[in-house]
Amino acid sequence: MTGMVSERPKRRRQPPLPAALDRRFEAVVFDWDGTAVPDRGADASGLRDLIEQLCEHGMQLLVVTGTHVGNVDGQLGARPAGPGRLVFCVNRGSEVFAATQDGIELLHRREATAKEDAALDAAAEATVDELARRGLQAAIVSQRLNRRKIDLIPEPAWEDPPKSRIGELLEAVEDRLRRAGLAGVREAVALAMDAADRAGLSDARVTSDAKHVEIGLTDKADAAHWAFQELERLGIGPSLVLVAGDEFGPLGGLPGSDSLLLVPEAQRSTAISVGREPTGAPAEVLSLGGGPERFVTLLEDQLERRRRGDVPDIDGASTWTISVEGLDPRLERVHESLLTIADGRIGTRGTPLLEHSDADRAVLASWAYVGEGAESELAQGADWTALRGRLNDRPLSRRLDLRTGLLRQSGVVESIQFSSRSRPATTVLRAEGAERQFPAADRRVVERPRVVSALSDTRRPGWLERLAAYAPDRSAAREALAAAERTGFESLLAEHRRAWARRWETADIVIEGDAELQLAVRFALFHLMASVADDGEAAVGARGLSGRGYRGHVFWDSDVFVLPFLAATHPPAARAMLEYRLRRLDAARAAAVRLGYAGARFPWESAGDGFDVTPALAHLPTGEIARIRTGEAEEHITADVAWAAATYVDWTGDEEFARGPARELFVETARYWASRVRFVDGRAHIFSVIGPDEYHEPVDDNAFTNVMARWNLRRGAKLVESADERSSWLAIADALVDGYDPMSGLYEQFAGFFGLEPLVIADVAPRRPIAADLLLGRERTVAAQVLKQADVLMLHQLVPDEVAPGSLLPNLDFYEPRTAHGSSLSPAIHAGLFARAGRFREALRALRIAARIDLDDLTGSTASGVHLATMGGLWQALVFGFAGVSPRGNTLIVDPRLPPDWGALELCLSFRGSPLRLRIHRGGVELDAGDELELRPRDGIWEVVFK
Amino acid sequence: MNKVIAALDTSLAANPVLRTAVALAGALGSEVEAVHVTVDGDRVARSAAGAASVPYRTASGPVVERLIEIGRASDVVALVLGARGSPLARRPMGGTALAVATALPKPIAVVPPEARVRDHLRSVLVPLAGRDMEHHTPRAIVALAEGEELDVTVLHVLDELSLPSFTDQPQHEDEARVSEFLRRYCPWGIGKVRFEVRIGRREDVVPTVVDEMNADIVALGWAQELEPDLTPVVRTMLTRSTVPLLLVPVRVTGARELVSSAPAGTISG
Repeated sequence: MTGMVSERPKRRRQPPLPAALDRRFEAVVFDWDGTAVPDRGADASGLRDLIEQLCEHGMQLLVVTGTHVGNVDGQLGARPAGPGRLVFCVNRGSEVFAATQDGIELLHRREATAKEDAALDAAAEATVDELARRGLQAAIVSQRLNRRKIDLIPEPAWEDPPKSRIGELLEAVEDRLRRAGLAGVREAVALAMDAADRAGLSDARVTSDAKHVEIGLTDKADAAHWAFQELERLGIGPSLVLVAGDEFGPLGGLPGSDSLLLVPEAQRSTAISVGREPTGAPAEVLSLGGGPERFVTLLEDQLERRRRGDVPDIDGASTWTISVEGLDPRLERVHESLLTIADGRIGTRGTPLLEHSDADRAVLASWAYVGEGAESELAQGADWTALRGRLNDRPLSRRLDLRTGLLRQSGVVESIQFSSRSRPATTVLRAEGAERQFPAADRRVVERPRVVSALSDTRRPGWLERLAAYAPDRSAAREALAAAERTGFESLLAEHRRAWARRWETADIVIEGDAELQLAVRFALFHLMASVADDGEAAVGARGLSGRGYRGHVFWDSDVFVLPFLAATHPPAARAMLEYRLRRLDAARAAAVRLGYAGARFPWESAGDGFDVTPALAHLPTGEIARIRTGEAEEHITADVAWAAATYVDWTGDEEFARGPARELFVETARYWASRVRFVDGRAHIFSVIGPDEYHEPVDDNAFTNVMARWNLRRGAKLVESADERSSWLAIADALVDGYDPMSGLYEQFAGFFGLEPLVIADVAPRRPIAADLLLGRERTVAAQVLKQADVLMLHQLVPDEVAPGSLLPNLDFYEPRTAHGSSLSPAIHAGLFARAGRFREALRALRIAARIDLDDLTGSTASGVHLATMGGLWQALVFGFAGVSPRGNTLIVDPRLPPDWGALELCLSFRGSPLRLRIHRGGVELDAGDELELRPRDGIWEVVFK
Repeated sequence: MNKVIAALDTSLAANPVLRTAVALAGALGSEVEAVHVTVDGDRVARSAAGAASVPYRTASGPVVERLIEIGRASDVVALVLGARGSPLARRPMGGTALAVATALPKPIAVVPPEARVRDHLRSVLVPLAGRDMEHHTPRAIVALAEGEELDVTVLHVLDELSLPSFTDQPQHEDEARVSEFLRRYCPWGIGKVRFEVRIGRREDVVPTVVDEMNADIVALGWAQELEPDLTPVVRTMLTRSTVPLLLVPVRVTGARELVSSAPAGTISG
């Protein structure tokens, strides 16, 4: 429950808030002495109550002060319960503590080495000696953690001057220094810096508060760095932060101590000074004056905003925000797909809250399908976003914060909504506007096939908070809703932001030098993360949870394109995807048996029961009704599923999985291929299949299918118990034809491909990508060397060890000009392969197409959902292609190809349980990771290895 | 009662213009009135109207201005004119028809001299480019399809420019694409309207489909400008086709029922 602010003495009436402060902040980073309290002896009990209540309402408060924790905590004595935290960044940036209900907890400490401690002593003594040499008596007055303090005016009159006498103090110290022939405090600082340098402290922090000179290893800037990084870890961007101090302006020719709070990470935050600022505050600081009283007023205002339920804002950083201004009837459904918020279990399209005829609302549940066979589709829950009334042509602005998964809508209604990353299948909406736009408070349970939705509204005039929980059954939905209600909006928001921030810590990619691509990449990563659950089983449809397209059916898209990203950034989600396949292994076995084969054969399209749900017919744009044969012939999916399991094991080293469920998967899929091949003239063949290039069907000995089957057989042979089977599979693998011609270095895509009409797409098409089957007509397409997407080249992407060394370039040169890129999967794969070949112009062109497929609706079908596999392909292009990252046992290989226009490429990954950040730049590669990993160069490449 | 005006001149098109007006009026539940703006006698027009038993009146003054004035009357729902332009002319509609069609915000049927016109409209073909917002399916035509006796087919012709870049999985992709196309360019739903997609140049495909489906009239939504995208179809219809062309103005701003005037949705970072 929210308590009341304790009684405080009445204060002067405060001036109205400047516009920059007339808003809700999510965090306050503030100086202590002179900002929060007048001095260290002041009564802070009122402030304590205020801070505890702010924390209870979700505000993050970070005190940055030079003093030690005992001083500030002794004075404040706050013991907040959260969800907001009170953090003390003390000892000039050397220590960080959290104040909790249980007391003070150390979060971070900079420990000086013995050598550094000795150097600090030496520097302080040298400074005192130098001052003495000039006739000025000074004294080392404290040897605190990581710093030494020298009193420039050790006189009784100035033993402990209050902040309010800073001007007089400065004058007295300057006078004293001038009498000793020094130019002032500035020169005293310069002397200390020289001394520190001579003592071997090249990065010493030398500061002055007018009375003292301090030589330290850290200062307030280090505290500010930590504070903003911590806020980023909480999902709070700088524009949501208020920075408060009282000494930003220069003092004695030196920058004010609080100016150190304005670190680069603080850019876009709002900085205020409540101090006197005798020399004026810097332009970027709003100078309010008024001292601690003014500061407390601001905190009270923030508390009031939280009590009345103001709608929080999002950070709005340009490379983290997808913004849609207005409502274009033609593009509305595309925009709703782009703005989808999801938590792996529930996905909600970014529709306006008010009704609009061009909107397409949907709340999709990932755990269940309804309907049968080809008609089966993702189940849907009750809508939780609709308010009352029509939007019509009134203003609307929607912004999706990719960093936190928060959708902020503005216009007639101000709102924030999220699908909780920390408790999937729970959604939260807070909105304010005119009373007529809000329905009466409602509490209901809606039962639909396989999805129960429990919703509850909390209402005040012109204000609504709506929680919803979704589950397969009624009791689970109601329990989840009750738990969310007990937790409350602020805690739900805090845990959601934090959960998203944690995901980004091992997933973000930074491209220096291309802001547009940067945003597009984060947009893709966001949807990849949002679409997949962390536990249980995860059926990942082609459009994720962003639309009804493809009915939520699962294709190789999820195994080959999406899963690698998750294996390398968040393995539990990859494991959940594999669990989806494993739980349908019996169906795959049954499918193989039905066709007269052994082992397990996975379906081209999969939904609830694991049997093939590929529609038999398609209505082509030409008006024709075409028979769809992918379900019966695009068999490489079986090897693709096994490849996905291997990829997961490669990245995670999950031995338990490898020895257990994965073993069965590898063996059963290999067993399928062993029974599927036919021997002719001593060679093994796979007849009548469809490869990734779906323009030609059916074909014999598709190189991709055969080589993937070969890889699958060899992988299975390592694990199968029967020696007979093992030797048989290895023999079959060796006998499988792969169409490789050592003379030309080319793989023939399938038997007879080289005999088709030679055709280069640029000669017949006005542009690429293009649907060549529509352009040329089916007959000519089938008879020509024209590809829908990478086929042979997919082998170089997936199983480079299974193809002939050096075969990438000849095959890239031969096949790419023949590729129409008529599949949205194609550009990203080629981008990565061109990057490996060092052909940056072509690589970047393909990369940009892949990056814009949904943002520019290049397929004309983004309205039905985003293209998740393309997004996975985009990640692979950057990580496997440009960065050249690949796992080899316990080593992560890094063999980068950095385009000239990029300053650097940074990747956040998780390798075998260890998070790491790689920075690839012109000068080489840098690794930022825990103590267990190190980076070492080797033969022109780099290796990340365990120590 | 509402009227369809048959604007008769002294050319050979007078008869097909009258027959088109009668057929159109039948579909719209309107009456027909023949009008001739006198320039140098009205014998041809008068006798044609008489033969068709259609009320007839004359007007005098500049032809274009007078027809626009007549067309603006609140009870006039459509105007039917003959196309007099040379088949090779840059503007195949002819000066009068073009001037009236671009100035009068009402459906204008332009009738080739050799038009084959049935007494009753049974089949309407609506070619739809689907590139710009101007190319909406005229709502009035969709409404006509609700009647029992009129077949309306919306024809989307994919040419080299509008051909999809990707086909992915056609068993899912095409359904999604068509559904979205119709929401964009036929936002009021298509009711009983049939939707067909063909591939080729519109000026080649449209006459072919007209023949295939034995269409009685081709209806085009337009923004009352003979823009480059529309010109080849109009030219083809008036030079190579033997069915009348009905140009239906589609407002591009204002009423939401056609196209929203809300700010265009933009994506930005």
